[in-house]
Amino acid sequence: MCVIEAMSRYYTEYNSNAHRANHTLADEATTALEGARGSISRFFGTSPKQMIYTSGATEAINLVAYGWARANLSDGDVVVLTEMEHHADIVPWQELSKEKGIEVRYVPIDLQYFTLDMDAFEVAVQGASLVCVVHTSNVLGIRNPIEEIVELSHSAGARVLVDCAQGAPHEMINFDLSNIDFAAISAHKMGGPTGIGCLLVRLDAMVQMRPFLTGGSMIKKVSTEGSTFQEGHAMFETGTPRIAEAIGWGAAVDWLDQFEMTEIHSHVNSLAALAAELMGNIPGITVFGDPQRNDSSGAVSFLHDSIQSQDLALLLDEGGFAVRTGHHCAQPLMDAMGVPSTNRASFWVYNTSEEVSSFAKHLSEVVSRFS
Amino acid sequence: MTERGDWPQHLDSIVEEFSGCFDSMERYELLFQYAKSHPSSLPQEDWTEENQVHGCQSRAHIECSVSEKGQFILRGGADAQIVQGLMAITSIAVNGMHPKEVRQMTPDFADAMGIRSSLTPSRANGFLNMFNSVREEAGKLEVK
Repeated sequence: MCVIEAMSRYYTEYNSNAHRANHTLADEATTALEGARGSISRFFGTSPKQMIYTSGATEAINLVAYGWARANLSDGDVVVLTEMEHHADIVPWQELSKEKGIEVRYVPIDLQYFTLDMDAFEVAVQGASLVCVVHTSNVLGIRNPIEEIVELSHSAGARVLVDCAQGAPHEMINFDLSNIDFAAISAHKMGGPTGIGCLLVRLDAMVQMRPFLTGGSMIKKVSTEGSTFQEGHAMFETGTPRIAEAIGWGAAVDWLDQFEMTEIHSHVNSLAALAAELMGNIPGITVFGDPQRNDSSGAVSFLHDSIQSQDLALLLDEGGFAVRTGHHCAQPLMDAMGVPSTNRASFWVYNTSEEVSSFAKHLSEVVSRFS
Repeated sequence: MTERGDWPQHLDSIVEEFSGCFDSMERYELLFQYAKSHPSSLPQEDWTEENQVHGCQSRAHIECSVSEKGQFILRGGADAQIVQGLMAITSIAVNGMHPKEVRQMTPDFADAMGIRSSLTPSRANGFLNMFNSVREEAGKLEVK
C-alpha cells in the first residue's frame, strides 16, 4: 500500500520530469527520485554513486554486457556462466560472443543436490575475465556460495556479476562488503513496482564502462561536431527516468527496513520447507531441490507424474493459487534437470503457514481427482 | 436447454453435457475424460515445428487433410490433457464436414459449453488459435 501511495502522490502532487527545469515541481520530482536512490543504495549497503537505475535485472545485466564487457573484452576472453542462469544472464553473453568472439563457459549443476558443481567452477574460472552467476535460483530457490565464488573469481583475476533478482528479497545483500563487482536487481521481486531495478557497480568498474544507450539526460554537451557525457551513474541513465517506479521502489525498501532480513529469510524458508514436506506426501508429486535446506529461499519447484504442468497450474488457479509454470526463463537448467517445465510455488513475507496448508490440501484434491 | 447456436447438430449432445456441468472443475474433469478417450490422433513423432499451433502455452500440433469423399479430417495432439480434450471436441466437430463448412464454422459451441468462460484468457486464446488454425487449413484445402 505504501508503494502505491508513494507513486500516486508523485502523479497527483508533483508530477514532473526530473533533472531538468527549475520549477518547483521538477525540483520535488528530482528530490524524490534521488531520495529513493539514497534509500535503495543504503538498503544494499552502498553509496548512491554506485547505483545505476535500470528497468530491472535484465537491463542491468545487458548494461554489464554492452557497457562494460563490450569495451573491455575481446576475441578469446572468457566469460563464465552457470547452467542455473536465467535467460537474462545467458542470451546477452551469447550475443556478445558472436560480436566480440569471447568464449562462454558453463558450470554444470550437481544433479544429486541441484547445486553448482564447484569443482567444475574452479576449473572454468581459470583464465576468465568475468564470472556471471545467479545469487539464488529462480527455479530451485537454491542460494549459490557467492562468497566462495567471488573469492575464487578475484583470485583468478575475473570480475564478478551476480544476478540478485531472486536473492535480494530473501537476504540482506551488502554490496560493499560482498566484494561483488556488479549486482543486478529487480524491484518487483521485493515489493516494488515492475519496470524498475538497478545495477550496483564498483566505481573502479564503472569508470571502465561506456554507455550503450545514448541521448538525453546522459550528456554534458552536444554539438554538431560531437557530444560529451556526464560522469558516474548519470552517464548510464538515458532519457526520462522511471520516476514514479523509482519512488515506489524507495517506499518498498523503506517498508522492508522495519524487518530484519534474517527474519524474512527464516519465515520464508520455513514456509517452503512446510510446503515441500506436505507436497512430498501427495502421490506422484516430485519436488526438485531441497527447500528444507537453510540456504533455500521460498521457491518450490515441483511436477506431478501424470498431470501435465500447464493443466496442473490451471487446476490450482481454480482454487485461487497462482503458481508459475513453464521453463521459468531457465531452459538450460530445465535441460540439465531433464524436464521441459515445472510448476513453482513461491512464498514471501506476506504468506502464512495456513495458506501453505490450504495450498497443499487443494493440490492433494486436484491430484486425487485428476490423476 | 442451451440456446442453439451455429454449430453442427452432431455436437448438440456434447454441448449439453458440458453446459450441464456444476462448475468449471467438473468441466475440466469432462475435458480430461475426452482427452483420455480420444488420445492424440497424430503420433508424437509427427509433431513438427511446421504443424505446431503457436500461441498455446502447451504443445499442440494439428494436421488437416481431405478424404477421397471430400470430407475434412483433423488429426491432432497436445501434451496437456485440457488442450487434448479441446482438440478431441474440435475433431468431433469438424471431421466429416466439407472444408468450406469448417472454414465458415464459428467457435459458438465452445461458448455454449462454457469452455471459453472457464479458461483463463491465455488458455481461451490458445483454444482460439487452434480453432483458427483448423479453419485456415480448411480454407487451403477448399481451394485445392
